[in-house]
Amino acid sequence: MTAPTSVFVVDDDQAVRDSLGLLLKSVGVMHRLFDSAQSFLDGYDPGWQGCIVLDIRMPGMSGMELQQQLKDLRCHMPIIFITGHGDVPMAVEAMQSGAFDFIQKPFRDQELLDRIHQALTHDAAHRSEEEQRRAVLHRHASLTPREREVMECVVRGLANKVIAMDLELSQRTVEIHRARVMEKMGARSLAELVRMSLLIEEPEGKGAY
Amino acid sequence: MNNPTGTTTVAAGADAPRATELDANLGAAEFDALLDAAIDGIMVIDERGRVVRVNKSAERMLGYDAAELLSQSLNLIMSEEDADRHDNYVGSYLRTGRRRIIGIGREVLARRRDGSVFPVSLAVGEVRLRGQIRFVGLMRDLTEAKRAEEEALRHREEMMHVSRLTTMGEMAAALAHEVNQPLSAIATYTAACTRLLDQGEEGIKDVRHALAQINAQAHRAGEVIRRIRSFTRSRELSRRTIDVGSLLEEIRPLAELDAKANSIALRMELDPGLPEINVDVVQIQQVILNLLRNGVDAVRQAPAERRRLLLRAGLAREREIRFEIIDQGEGVDEAVRPRLFTPFFTTKSAGMGMGLAISRSIITGHGGVLDYHNNAGGGATFWFTLPTDGDE
Repeated sequence: MTAPTSVFVVDDDQAVRDSLGLLLKSVGVMHRLFDSAQSFLDGYDPGWQGCIVLDIRMPGMSGMELQQQLKDLRCHMPIIFITGHGDVPMAVEAMQSGAFDFIQKPFRDQELLDRIHQALTHDAAHRSEEEQRRAVLHRHASLTPREREVMECVVRGLANKVIAMDLELSQRTVEIHRARVMEKMGARSLAELVRMSLLIEEPEGKGAY
Repeated sequence: MNNPTGTTTVAAGADAPRATELDANLGAAEFDALLDAAIDGIMVIDERGRVVRVNKSAERMLGYDAAELLSQSLNLIMSEEDADRHDNYVGSYLRTGRRRIIGIGREVLARRRDGSVFPVSLAVGEVRLRGQIRFVGLMRDLTEAKRAEEEALRHREEMMHVSRLTTMGEMAAALAHEVNQPLSAIATYTAACTRLLDQGEEGIKDVRHALAQINAQAHRAGEVIRRIRSFTRSRELSRRTIDVGSLLEEIRPLAELDAKANSIALRMELDPGLPEINVDVVQIQQVILNLLRNGVDAVRQAPAERRRLLLRAGLAREREIRFEIIDQGEGVDEAVRPRLFTPFFTTKSAGMGMGLAISRSIITGHGGVLDYHNNAGGGATFWFTLPTDGDE
C-alpha cells in the first residue's frame, strides 16, 4: 500500500506508448510505461495500485497472456485493453476473462481518460473493500473458539436462549460472550456484525466488474 | 541440300537420253511440288542476294506473288534493321567464310508487302555447283508461337500478381494494424498537445517533442502504404543483381508486422559475406513472404514459447544460397505431402492454394529448388536454393 496510484501502460509500440505517456502527463495522472508484457511482469510489485492500459497484440507474451498471469498472481488491478479493428473477438474473450474494458484504436483521448478514471475509482473502491475485509478477518481471528461459535449463532439470527441451549451454556454466559464479540469485532449493531460475517465468508478478490 | 536434278542425272546414266530428260523434268516438277507443299516459306537466293525461287508458303506469308519477288533483293522482305545486318552477313561470309547465319539459323523480322513486320525463324543453307553459289532459306512464321509464348508469360505474371495480392490480403489485418498504430499515436499526441498548450509555457517542450513524433508517425504510415504498393504493383519480370541482405531488408517491415500482429517472434539470421544474386527481386521476396505467411499460420495458435519463426539465409555449397523458414508449429501432415505443391490445394480455410505452387515455379524458374521437411523437434522447415551466378 506504499506505492501511489498509477496508470501502467504496456504497449510494444514506442510511439503509441510515448503518446499515451504524454497524454497522461498532460492531465497530471501518474503513470509508468512498459514496452512488453514481460518487462511489466519483471518489475511487478503486488503493492502497485491503479489500473493497467494493455495492448492486446504484442510480440512475445500477448496482452491476454499477461492478463492470465496477473490473475495467477492475484493482481486485481483493472485492465483496459487497447485493441485494433479486427480484434473484437479477442477483446470479447478478454472481457469474459475479467477485463475492465476495452477500447479500439484510434480512440478519442477523452474516451480513454474517462475509462481510466472509472478504472482507478473501481480499483480504489475494491481496495478499500479488501482492506476492510482484511481488518475484519484480523479482528475475527482474535476471537476465542467459543466466541466464534456464539458469533456464528448470532448472525444466524438465533435468540440468546436458543444459543444457550445449543451450546449448553447459561443464558448469562451467552450474553457475556455476545458482548465480547460485539466489542472485539467493533460492531455497533447486529446488522453490522452480519455484514462483517458476509465479508469473512466471501472468497478473496472476487474481482468481478 | 543437294541439287536433285544432279542426282537424277548420275543415276540415269548416258544410254537413254530421252528417258533422262523425262526423268529430269519429272524430278524438277517433283521438286516444285515439294517446295509448294512445304508449310515453311522457302526461297532460293543467288550470291548477290537476289531471289531466284520462292514457294507458295513464302508467297502467302509475305503477301507477294512469286513474279513480284523474283530478281528482287532479299532486303525487300526483311525489316530494315535485319536487312542491313543481312547484307553484312552475306558479304562477310563470302569474304571470310565465317558463318554468322548460314547453317546456324536465327530469329529475324520479316516484312510483308503491306509493310507489316513479323517474326520468323530463318534457317539458311548453301549450294555450290560449278562455281555458282546459291543460298536456300527456310522461313517459319513465329507470330502464333510468339503470341502463345507471350500469352503464357502474361498469364504467369498475372497469377503471380494475384498471388501477391492474396498474400497482402491475408496480411490485411496486420497491415491495417500497422497503419492504425501511427494514426493512433498521432491522435493521442495531438490530444496531449492541446491540453499541454492550455498549460502555457511549461508544456512547450513536450509539445515540440510531440510535433516531431507526429511528423515521424505520419511518414511511418505513408511508408507502410508505399511498401504495400511497391510489392503488389503489377510488374514485368526483371532481374537485377542484389545482395541477400538488401533483398531481405526490403521486406523485413512487412514480415515483421505480420509476425507481430500474431504475437510471433520473428528472427532473421544472415550468414556474413554472402555473394550477390541475380534474381527478379520482387518474385523472390514474394516467395519469402509467402513462406513466412505460411509459417505465421502454422504457429499462430501455438503456445507462446513456440510462437517463433526463424528465417535463415546461408551458403549451402559453392555458388548456391539456401533460404530456410523454420517454424515450430505442428509440421506438415504426411498425408498432404503429395498434393502440397499442387495449385488450388490448401489446408487453410481462407486460402486460395496458389502460394506454394507459385513459389515453387518462381524458384524453379530461377534455377533453384523449393521443398520442405518436418523438423525433428516439431514444426516444419520450408527451404529453397538459388544459384549465385544468376543466369542459369
